[in-house]
Amino acid sequence: MKLTRHRGVLEEFWKNFRKNKLAVAGGLIVLLFICLALFAPILSTANPVEQFKSPSGERHPLPPISRSDDGHLFLLGSDRYGRDIFSRALFGTRSMLKLAVGAVGISFIIGVALGAVAGYNRSSWIDELIMRFVDILLSFPALVLAIALVGALGLGETVIFGLRFSNMFKIMLVIAITYSPRFARVMRSVVLQEMSEDYVAAAKVIGASGTRIVVKEVFINTIPPIMVQASLMMAETVLISASLSFLGLGLQPPQASLGVMLNEARDYLFQGSWWYAVVPGVFISLAILGFNFLGDGLRDSVDPRQARRVGR
Amino acid sequence: MGVYILKRLILAIPTLIVASIIIFLLVHIAPGDPVRVMLGPIQDQVLVERLQQKLGLDLPLHEQYLTWLGNLLRGDLGISISVQRGAPVAELIAERYMVTLELALLAMTVALLIAIPTGILSALRQNKLTDHISRVVALIGISIPNFFVGILLILFFGVVLLKTWGAGGFVPIQEGLGANLQRMILPAIALGTSYSAIVMRMMRSSMLDVMSKDYVRTARAMGVKRWSVIRQDIVRNALIPVVTVIGNSIGYLLGGSVVTESVFRLPGIGNLVINAVYRRDFPVIQAVVLIIVLLRILVNLVVDLMYAKLDPRIQYTSSE
Amino acid sequence: MREELLRIENLVTRFYTEYGVVQAVDGTNLYLKQGETLGIVGESGSGKTVTAMSIMGMIENPGKIENGRILLKGDNLLYKSEKEMREIRGGLIAMVFQDSLSSLNPTLTVGEQIGRVLRFHTTLTPHVIHKRVVELLEKVGIPEPTKRYGGYPHEMSGGMRQRVLIAMAISCNPSLLILDEPTTALDVTIEAQIFELIEQLKKHFNMGIILITHDLSVVANTCDRVAIMYSGKLIEQGSVSEVFKRQLHPYTRGLIRSIPRIDGPVDENLYSIPGEVPDLINLPGGCNFAPRCAYKKDLCEKESPTLAEFYKDHTAACLRVKEIEYAE
Repeated sequence: MKLTRHRGVLEEFWKNFRKNKLAVAGGLIVLLFICLALFAPILSTANPVEQFKSPSGERHPLPPISRSDDGHLFLLGSDRYGRDIFSRALFGTRSMLKLAVGAVGISFIIGVALGAVAGYNRSSWIDELIMRFVDILLSFPALVLAIALVGALGLGETVIFGLRFSNMFKIMLVIAITYSPRFARVMRSVVLQEMSEDYVAAAKVIGASGTRIVVKEVFINTIPPIMVQASLMMAETVLISASLSFLGLGLQPPQASLGVMLNEARDYLFQGSWWYAVVPGVFISLAILGFNFLGDGLRDSVDPRQARRVGR
Repeated sequence: MGVYILKRLILAIPTLIVASIIIFLLVHIAPGDPVRVMLGPIQDQVLVERLQQKLGLDLPLHEQYLTWLGNLLRGDLGISISVQRGAPVAELIAERYMVTLELALLAMTVALLIAIPTGILSALRQNKLTDHISRVVALIGISIPNFFVGILLILFFGVVLLKTWGAGGFVPIQEGLGANLQRMILPAIALGTSYSAIVMRMMRSSMLDVMSKDYVRTARAMGVKRWSVIRQDIVRNALIPVVTVIGNSIGYLLGGSVVTESVFRLPGIGNLVINAVYRRDFPVIQAVVLIIVLLRILVNLVVDLMYAKLDPRIQYTSSE
Repeated sequence: MREELLRIENLVTRFYTEYGVVQAVDGTNLYLKQGETLGIVGESGSGKTVTAMSIMGMIENPGKIENGRILLKGDNLLYKSEKEMREIRGGLIAMVFQDSLSSLNPTLTVGEQIGRVLRFHTTLTPHVIHKRVVELLEKVGIPEPTKRYGGYPHEMSGGMRQRVLIAMAISCNPSLLILDEPTTALDVTIEAQIFELIEQLKKHFNMGIILITHDLSVVANTCDRVAIMYSGKLIEQGSVSEVFKRQLHPYTRGLIRSIPRIDGPVDENLYSIPGEVPDLINLPGGCNFAPRCAYKKDLCEKESPTLAEFYKDHTAACLRVKEIEYAE
């Protein structure tokens, strides 16, 4: 019976999720990164902005497992200013995830609200208007839109209408605006799909109490696909914020940022200081990978029929 | 067919107009007075007022927009403020667009050459080792940012292999195809990696979709040779939705080229726009973004038309 | 005396799925003579389509043909290589599936799709093939065949598409034509036309035809003999006139009884066989039909009945045939 489907949907979902190796692997990686970010202050071996002096005769950046002048062990090496890369990577992860969660959160709220409204009022002028606007925003490639918005708002702190916004919040907002359209689109199509299900028509026939059930059921049934989208959005958000930082348009130094580290590392590649680039790059890539695995695995869990296509 | 094209073109116009409005407003959402923003901390009031007048900033907003739009349609993309003070933006773009174009096309070619066969093969050997490996590799490909791929390539080829690749810079084709490709191949690979992974996944998914269709069964039942079934029934039908994805990913390529040009120090449009952002050169930013959006919309249109041509089921006179 | 065209002996086909082993076909015995039409009747899941696919050699992973012989003019098809089977498919044996728009390739023209079959099975030149295809289109009753040659499947109605599929099937003069629910998706008037067409073609080409259907009225109208299948087993086989007159197996009896009669009492409930088709993975021991059978006894649940001949060319698989007959 469809009316009790929601319990089945979420249970079904969890069951499929556990079976899916990709999803579980992704989930573990994401969990790992969340821990790294949360416990960055504890796990770090040094203050991320502290500059250590190099031993005499040597110059920064120093390779992994080397020591500073006063004996500090650089687990993953030092950067050009003598700062501990391991600690900077941890704090960089922290700000990266903070940014991603914030951006996805805001764009989720905006996008889901718009999408739900559009979907519920399908084919009305509200729907047309919203979706037209969404489509227009979508004709801007994500990175280009983000760069343009950053260009408009300027680097560093921003003051809009007399309110002071931190750089991080500004980036969050930029990315959120860039990705809201995608959320809106997904939400709308999910709502449309649910609304066309038989149980909605049946509930409407029942009457007012039916409407309440419908809203609840529709809402619950939209959770799995939205979760899939959220995870994939996290991956894209991390990617785009890393890109912005790399271009110097994101978090500004001396704040620890993986993208900025990667940018700094460029000048030191040819002298063989590979760790300077590889460490932040791997951190970024793994984080994105985790979210992609998770999202992909979640998507297969939502509709396992798509994952296993046995030819007839 | 001509009517269809016309109709789609006309429908695209409102989109373009709204997009241009958004781009136009970019300058004005900037906090503070745009002129001060552009000039920086210069305090000369006379200069400020002259610039204001020149840029027409003392006019009401909608008039400014119409002026700007009018200029655009005449080919006047504005004057650069800081990247190259006084230079017409159109000139700046003209100098550089070939680099970006070559990069994007090269990346797309390399990507497709890998993605499509891999996608087809992966689907045909579904759930075998080849399939699993390519799926995981594809996921990894999507996850590594293209600038990191670029840096890794530079590390590998430039440092490990001690080749002069990755040193950056650009040599125009006229001065030597070999030299040009030598500098462009690594950036193309870096840019194309993600794109390749996306297309490969789409191809595989589309193939699997088609493979379970009834007409494949019919063909087999009629004794059609396996290779023919793959070519005429499966791949032929599977490519149709993939073409759409290829077209729509142009946006991704254009965005990605911005980053890739930075990594490999290529003098393209991407580099231009980043410089412009550093220096708050709004006319340049606006012009570049506008062109990219325009390209995107045009490519979408072309893709739609191609789709209609490839799939006999789509009627040219279909109503929206 | 008509020659024997097809003989299936003890065919066993199973599917090894992640949910268990599906006994799709469990020891089926069938035969078909040249020029004869055999109807295979059963509900979905009875194994009729799997039997046909087994004949065609189109059983794929996770399915396997485990046992039995399929003799086409004395030649065992199960020993043939894939290459040989490919030549047979569309050539000696042709199968027509139930039409849906997706039974034909949407991006190839109708002419190309039929021509393809000729291309693979004959050495005719493209020019000759083109002519033949147009002739075929005409023969199956498609109006304006030259125009339709360059048309696409989606431009045609369901009935026309079915004709195209038939044209593809008969293009190389097969000896055996298998039709799997060819008219289920069509309305009755079109259905009548299609069957008339098939009858003409049968006479013209002297083909043996296997008609798979769940519709007994179709069987009555078009078949010479009928075989009834239930959950993978063949439970009755005989000439149409015989079986319709006198049913040996309780299931067949139920099937005949459930045909609504236009001259029956108006206010009588339509009869349907009680119960449900069994799960092919977890079959109960003994007779598969026992749980639903009105005549079942304890013995039926223990022992699995085998096919036995009770009247000339009329066989059934039931332990209580004689007793039931006597009782009625």
